[in-house]
Amino acid sequence: MSLEGKLALVTGGGRGIGRAIALKLASQGADIVINFFRRRDTAEQTAKEIEALGAKAEIFRANVGDPAKIDEMFDMIGNKFGHLDILISNAASGVGRPVMDIDVKAWQWTMDINTRACLLCSQRAARLMEGRGGKIVSLSSLGSFLVWPTYAVVGVSKAALEALTRYLAIELAPRGICVNAVAASFVETEALRFYFEEQLGKGNLPITPAGRMVATEDIANVVAFLCSEEAFMIRGQTIIVDGGFSLYNPLFARERKD
Amino acid sequence: MTVEEQIREIMARITHVDGSIITRESTFKDIKADSLDVVQALVAVEETFGIEIPDEEAQKFQSFGDFVSYVENQVAQKERV
Ligand SMILES: NC(=O)c1ccc[n+]([C@@H]2O[C@H](COP(=O)([O-])OP(=O)(O)OC[C@H]3O[C@@H](n4cnc5c(N)ncnc54)[C@H](OP(=O)(O)O)[C@@H]3O)[C@@H](O)[C@H]2O)c1
Repeated sequence: MSLEGKLALVTGGGRGIGRAIALKLASQGADIVINFFRRRDTAEQTAKEIEALGAKAEIFRANVGDPAKIDEMFDMIGNKFGHLDILISNAASGVGRPVMDIDVKAWQWTMDINTRACLLCSQRAARLMEGRGGKIVSLSSLGSFLVWPTYAVVGVSKAALEALTRYLAIELAPRGICVNAVAASFVETEALRFYFEEQLGKGNLPITPAGRMVATEDIANVVAFLCSEEAFMIRGQTIIVDGGFSLYNPLFARERKD
Repeated sequence: MTVEEQIREIMARITHVDGSIITRESTFKDIKADSLDVVQALVAVEETFGIEIPDEEAQKFQSFGDFVSYVENQVAQKERV
């Protein structure tokens, strides 16, 4: 699998899963634009790591919840590179609250960043992919169909993102653009540690049937596959990468003890 | 309007509190600003003054006054160059 000569934009690519994806694509030869929001330090660090792999790296600060900032980012890519081959819609934010405490502001913030940004970025990306085709992969979460404590607004934003993925896949197919999503369960990142330590207390990280936690690299591998020509016939799908977590039934725990 | 007055106005708009209760000593909790309010205030202030407030700095703000002082410094530095 080679992405030599390709240009990829990874939103929220400075740290966590986005960083692993950026590094994976760069290791296959792609040049990377890393979008970040509040953490210039980690974005700069990741850019250095990409350059060490021999690829070009560019960082761009933009709140993807703000349509004007998305435009600025794509104007920059258009002016500087003139095209785009891969869009990874990875940036996400959210407000952890029970449904009864979700207000308009929390809803809007989450939807704007997690869902609307994917639409607006895909529209701009599709124009930069004109005549050459491309790949779009978004990052979803099992919380789109499972119910987790205080995850409602993010879960809903991800369910909408998966539906958007299906529509984009069909409507952008004539332009030679493959659109898919990857849904993670619990991947060891800062965000996750924060979430679980708040919900379950320190040290209580969930283990999957696969025997360990899902790592950021596990997600990056599947994203990279979806960006390859081998995945050409996969369209509009949300691929679950969870080490079997979502299929696991507590009955198995009893079986193991016997 | 001074830097302080502009930030007070932004803060009051975002948290829906009366700006007159916001003093330099007020904590974000006093102003009823949760973490989302704080991020939105940071973004609005950055845009108003054309500056960037790194997360590491923002995390050090204990009070409204810390926030204002930081921005005042940045604005003064920007004017010098
Ligand atoms: N970790 C998990 O267990 C898990 C599970 C399921 C799904 N996912 C999904 O995987 C993706 C990556 O998750 P993660 O755990 O790596 O996230 P993370 O560690 O919380 O990092 C969030 C990333 O998104 C960026 N970001 C947040 N708000 C932004 C905005 N308004 N504009 C631009 N960038 C913004 C951040 O940029 P800064 O660095 O500049 O702040 C950061 O790079 C997300 O879509 C998430 O929902 C993660």
